[in-house]
Parts: sequence; C-alpha cells; structure tokens
Amino acid sequence: MRLIIHDLDSDMAKNILPASEDACIISSNSKIQNCIGCFGCWIKTPGKCVIRDAYEDMGEMLAKVDELIILSECFYGGFSPFVKNVLDRSISYIHPYFVIKNGEMHHKNRYPNHFDMKIFLYGENITPKEKETASNLAQANAINLYSQVKELNFAQVAQEFAGKV
Amino acid sequence: MKKIALINGSPKNKNSASGCLLEVLKNKINDSCVTEFNMHTPNSTQLDAICENEILVFAFPLYVDGIPSHLLNYLAQLEQKLKSSQADICVYAIVNCGFYEGKQNCNALDMMENWCLKANVKWGMGVGVGGGGMATMLKGGVGENGPMHDIVVALGTLSNHILQKECSENIYVSPNFPRFLYKMAAEMGWRQQIRANGLKGKDLFRRV
Repeated sequence: MRLIIHDLDSDMAKNILPASEDACIISSNSKIQNCIGCFGCWIKTPGKCVIRDAYEDMGEMLAKVDELIILSECFYGGFSPFVKNVLDRSISYIHPYFVIKNGEMHHKNRYPNHFDMKIFLYGENITPKEKETASNLAQANAINLYSQVKELNFAQVAQEFAGKV
Repeated sequence: MKKIALINGSPKNKNSASGCLLEVLKNKINDSCVTEFNMHTPNSTQLDAICENEILVFAFPLYVDGIPSHLLNYLAQLEQKLKSSQADICVYAIVNCGFYEGKQNCNALDMMENWCLKANVKWGMGVGVGGGGMATMLKGGVGENGPMHDIVVALGTLSNHILQKECSENIYVSPNFPRFLYKMAAEMGWRQQIRANGLKGKDLFRRV
C-alpha cells in the first residue's frame, strides 16, 4: 500500500496527487488533536493512539505501508504543523523498548515492516541550511521508523510536484 | 535587568522533563526578570507577551526527531509577530529526548536555529539532553550530584551565556549513568506501567 500524508487543500490535492486507487491519503480534512505525550499508545491501548479522532490508527496503517509519501510545506527544515502532528500521532508504530543501532539508542520495532519513504517539501524561501536540516531529519526519521529514504525533493510551490508524486 | 521568557513547550500540564530542566535553569538566572510561559493553549496576548522579552528560552521534548507539532504551530505564529519587529531578541533552546544520547536532539535544535532566521531574531545556542525521562523520575529532583550531573553543568554553562546574551555552540549531554542500565530501567518501567493499567507485560508487543 502507498500512504500519502499531505497538507494541501482539496483543490490543490486534486491537481497534484495521483488518482491512484491503491493509495491511502491522509489530509487535514478532519480536525486533528495533538499528541499529549501520555504514551497511552504503548501502555493503555498498545498499537493504537488513545485520542479518538480520524488519526488514531496511524501506527496500524504504517504497518501495512510499502511506500510512505510525505508532501508538506517546509517549516524550518521540517514538516508543516499538520504533517508533523500526523507523525507525532504515529508512534504506536514503534515499541517502547530500546535497541542500539549504529551505536545509538533507538526504539525497537513493533512490526516487521520496512517501507520506502519519499519526501516532497515546498516553500518559497527554503534556505540551504533548511535543506540540510531536512536531509538530516529524513535520515533520522528513516532510522526511527524502520524505513529508507528513496527521495527528498524541494520546490518553490507545491504545483511543481504535479506528476512526480 | 534582562527580561527573560522561559517557555515550556511540553504538551504535559505537569511533571514534564522540560519543566524540570527549566526549573534548574531558573535557579541559575534568578537575578533576572523571569516570566514563565507554557505552550498548551497560548492566546495572542500571551504570544505578544513572549515577544516583549529580550531573551527567549524554549524547552521542549523531542517528538519524532523534531519539534512537537503544537509548539511548531505556535512558533509559526510567533514568527509572524517577530519578523517585522526591530526588537533585539536572542533565543536559546533546551531539547530533551528519551534516547540516551543528547546528540539525537540536533535536528530539533537546527530547526530552532532556522526558525530564528525566519523570525528575524538571534540564535544563542541550544542544549540537547539525553535520558530526559530521568529528570522527572529522580526523587530528590535534578541536582548536581548523581546521574544528572553533566546535564546540570551544561545548564549552568547555558545560564552564563544567557546572562551575557552571548552566542555559542550547542552542547549535547547524556546522563552520568551506564547506557545498558538506563535501557534496562526504562524497559522495567514500561512493564510496570502497563501492568498498572491492568494489562500484561507481553501486551507491550501487541500488534493491531
């Protein structure tokens, strides 16, 4: 399954995203609450966020993904608040226990899945330092989410990604 | 006397590691005019009040290698307020993570530095704290003696730079506690917490 997380409005999404039937799309159509750091998704309802809204099953969804596509406005070398919120609400995908990888502590995987990640960041004034931060962030996300970065793309406006996602 | 804003960016109302670390810092800058803020549901008036300080110190937990989304949202609002301002503001940040290595906070600190550029304010420095969860677990609080020693020393260095309104390199610091013991203690803690919720230790491994 392809999972697309994006922060585009519905008209823009129609123009840019592929009309693919096998893709699951996560957008800001529903109101999203932010992660409150309660760790309920590890110790109360393991594998599922305790906050009841349209984004409570992100961990389960990531477990079924072959390819994760993130299309976001670039904020300071990271994702937009909405896209970051979706990722913050996804930590049920991993396990609270720790493992040591490449000499560093990371969370153990809950699922055996390893997905590919393609990242598309847009913004009018993305600085070289922000691009460097975004590249480092993508690699860090890949380690912690048991995935591999296949693409990291930048554009001035989201429309430049039409036909590329 | 410098006007300093200590901004707790944790989503938790109480008992946050960010709050504990800010408390240590506050005791080291107690001759200044310090105002404390949290980022749970700040309104425009509170964001305006933050902008009236000449030094901003953000403390927050690392979320998915970056800034928690609720704080990111408020940073974007602050950027709009600050970028047209001529105020001479210097920003510092303390980021803590559950991982042992403080270095893993580097991307979040880089994002704060990038935010400063967009908001037209000066980046001072940051401290990346590993083993942040320990800050709330220690019965005697965070002190210079014990596993938080190096972290407290790093916050002392940060306080000196804040009081001089100086810029410096980021500091990354881990607990004075063996990593394998930290890992074992954390895993024991998760088993205790899930049992306290009426589940079994093996439920930690549940797949949905």
